[in-house]
Amino acid sequence: MTVGLPQLLGLAAMLFGIGLYGALSRKNAVHVMMSLELMANAVNINLVAFSRFVTPEAMTGQFFAVFSMVVSAAEIGIGLALVLAIYRRKKSVELDAVQELKG
Amino acid sequence: MSETIPAVAFYLLAFAALGGAVSMMATRNVVHATVWLLEVMLATAGIYLLLGAEFLALVQVLVYAGAVAVLTLFTVMLTLRRREDAVRPFPPAWGSLALASLFTGAVLLAIRGFCSVAPEMPAQAPGIEEFGIEMFTTWMVPFEIASLVLLVALIGAVWWTGGDDR
Amino acid sequence: MSMGYVVLIPLLPALAFALLAPLSRRARTRAVPLAVGAVLGSLALSIAAFLAVWPGGHAGEPVWQGVVTIAHIGDRALSLGLQLEPVSAVMLLVVSLVGAAVQVYSLGYMHREERIGWYYAALSLFTAAMLALVLSNNFLGLFMAWEIMGLCSYLLIGFWHEQEPPRLASIKAFLTTKVGDLGFMVALAVIYAEVGAFDFHTVLDHAWTAASATPVALLLLFGAMGKSAQFPLHVWLPDAMAGPTPASALIHAATMVAAGVFLVVRAFPIFEASGVALTVTLWVGLVTALLAGLLAMVQHDIKKVLAYSTISQLGFMFIALGAGGSTAALYHLVTHAYFKSLLFLGAGVIIHAAHTQDMREMGGLAGKLPVTSLAFASGSLALAGIVPFSGFWSKDEILTVLLHEHQYVAFGIALLAALVTAFYVSRLWFRVFTAPPQQAELHEGHRSMLAPMVVLASVTAVLGFFGPTLGGFLGHEIPWPQLATAAISTAAAAAGVALGWWVYGRRTSVVNTQAIKQRFPHAYGVLANKYYFDLTYGYFVVGGYDALTRVLAVFDQRVVDGAVNGTAAAWRRLAGGGWTFDQRVVDGAVNGTAAAWRRLAGGGWTFDQRVVDGAVNGTAAVVKAAGVRVRTLQTGSVRGYQTLVAGAVVLLVIWIFVKGV
Repeated sequence: MTVGLPQLLGLAAMLFGIGLYGALSRKNAVHVMMSLELMANAVNINLVAFSRFVTPEAMTGQFFAVFSMVVSAAEIGIGLALVLAIYRRKKSVELDAVQELKG
Repeated sequence: MSETIPAVAFYLLAFAALGGAVSMMATRNVVHATVWLLEVMLATAGIYLLLGAEFLALVQVLVYAGAVAVLTLFTVMLTLRRREDAVRPFPPAWGSLALASLFTGAVLLAIRGFCSVAPEMPAQAPGIEEFGIEMFTTWMVPFEIASLVLLVALIGAVWWTGGDDR
Repeated sequence: MSMGYVVLIPLLPALAFALLAPLSRRARTRAVPLAVGAVLGSLALSIAAFLAVWPGGHAGEPVWQGVVTIAHIGDRALSLGLQLEPVSAVMLLVVSLVGAAVQVYSLGYMHREERIGWYYAALSLFTAAMLALVLSNNFLGLFMAWEIMGLCSYLLIGFWHEQEPPRLASIKAFLTTKVGDLGFMVALAVIYAEVGAFDFHTVLDHAWTAASATPVALLLLFGAMGKSAQFPLHVWLPDAMAGPTPASALIHAATMVAAGVFLVVRAFPIFEASGVALTVTLWVGLVTALLAGLLAMVQHDIKKVLAYSTISQLGFMFIALGAGGSTAALYHLVTHAYFKSLLFLGAGVIIHAAHTQDMREMGGLAGKLPVTSLAFASGSLALAGIVPFSGFWSKDEILTVLLHEHQYVAFGIALLAALVTAFYVSRLWFRVFTAPPQQAELHEGHRSMLAPMVVLASVTAVLGFFGPTLGGFLGHEIPWPQLATAAISTAAAAAGVALGWWVYGRRTSVVNTQAIKQRFPHAYGVLANKYYFDLTYGYFVVGGYDALTRVLAVFDQRVVDGAVNGTAAAWRRLAGGGWTFDQRVVDGAVNGTAAAWRRLAGGGWTFDQRVVDGAVNGTAAVVKAAGVRVRTLQTGSVRGYQTLVAGAVVLLVIWIFVKGV
């Protein structure tokens, strides 16, 4: 029983898939944001795994993961601020309540 | 012996992460979902430790388990008017499920094909000191840009939430 | 000698928590016996561990130690570990016995609660954290357990979170203790910077000088003051009484609030090296013991009296620590844990019977609740310091240490605090048990509630006789009290009890505090308002923040807005100058050119209208027709867009896969 790169990638793929399902199926904006975080997390696992197995000395993947974390932290900050702003106008955090872009 | 202990730890952590993610999708309560997300994040931090990325593990705990989970909980609390609002029924989204499974299946198949050429884990990985040195030499400019991104996000978030006059 | 079972002591309740927490409400209720079984198992193992350490005596040397390295940060190993030595063995007995008593008692006390399962889950997690805290062999593990306890305290105070007061009280308790925890955390950083390790052995053997020890000791003391509700961070404990009474007995009387004292006991060599820190500890304890004792005299809520009494008794422990008697402090911690949890459990039965917490509405309970009144009497006499109950011996030990260290002023204040203690205890006793009855229907508590009280009461009654044995076990001397100090302290206690009887027990009618209030209006007002602490914090901490934001807003308006407006005005003036030039010269040139072009265009007009316009309009019509069709794609639904993007990505992945790139 050993752990190699495929196992890690498989774990990340499954987490990503679960996150994808959540992001697609949920109506609650907060829930969608959380699913997005789950997907970002899966991507980070991939980055770190590749970093450990392929470029252990340069640690490139680890640095990418750091910046990916920065981006997703910024994303959740802005995203949740948007959710709050939408809540103020619509008194709801359901995504279906926001249809202004309808053509 | 030295091989099996990390392997057992990995499978336990992977089970925790996947179980947490599934529970997060299965629960109807948004607050519970947040707690499950927190569990996934902590399990991921454990996996980073196994992969020798100590700094990332710490940042993962601080940023995801700390800040993101708390922020999410705050938003949930601010947008709940009644206790019952936390529980959201959700329709069975078969289309989304099919799409996500299709995607996951395809990627898993691709990984399976890649198994034979997968590299072995190198024995040694640099520690946190080398990470810090690299971070502030090679990656200095991206690091500064990242701080700028965070600043912009901060201002944006304040602008969106602050003030009733908008 | 295999001692690995020590790990199970904190692990059993932790497992109970892990088992209960994810269950549904109904399944949790059914699983409650598991939690009780886990803590009883911990109790049995604690007794085994205690017997394994017996006869003790080797101060500080662990009998058993287990260390796990959880991570390597660079070449630094981060390890957590447990150790079993006399101090932790004694604490194990205290925590597991009181914990088991409280859990059994709660079976009766909480059985009507819908969320009893969650209550037991939180209680189990708390017990696990406290057991881990006393067993921890390093400051880091101690701090982690300390924080988990803070969380459990928050959860249990706010157990009835549908009501306003418990919710506010839980937040207040959490934030106030967090202020202290900040001190502890900074202390950890300073310790690591100074020593480079967290385990007690390395840290305490470090060559501390007064200069290096003082900041660490003061920061640790600050953390301990927050957790142990010492002046001026004591404000949270009385409010914490909004939680369920058995939880108060365990957390806010016996164990968690004593963790601060335990921390100072653990870090005592650092305090001794500092010297200054010991003096500060002594005075913090003296001020707290006296002030909280005085406050307990004017409370009407039976649980609030006990809460202030707890603060005051913890003050006694800090006095002992400050005078250099860490063993005396530990001794008082042990006796206090037993008799105070007993008093709280008794108060729970009384509250259940009388359906009120207000002592003015109670009375004559002695005849109606025979077992409770006897057990309560044992606890009260111990708290008042009457021989031979346990509180007498440990309080006497503290007074002896003060005399031995020639701290005569402190001795006087402590004696006064002891007198005050005896007074409020007898006030409580006479009001609740011998005053004329106010209610007709009164029922004794259920057996599951009485049995733990009887156990605690018998421990309280006999524990004092084992003082020297306990001292030998801890490797320090706890002598039998000297006749002189014993006589003085007994006199003070007797005076307090007599005064209490004279004011509250002597008359046949319920005492009218109105008379006292009228005779000493100022003193009563100060006490009834708890020395205006909450108000002061409201004004200066919360109000200060308010004022700061207001000042910043004014700054914003005057300076920042002023600067912006000034710049705008300057630009406007500049633009005004440019305007005239614009109108005369530029407009003239533009108009001239336009006239020339207009004349030229006159010829081309017909061609334009027929051919060019026709082509343009035709194109527009086609685009418009297409737009009407295509616009239905723009649903405006976020989820629709998401699905489109995801579908495209899936197609892309499948395409890559099929192509075999």
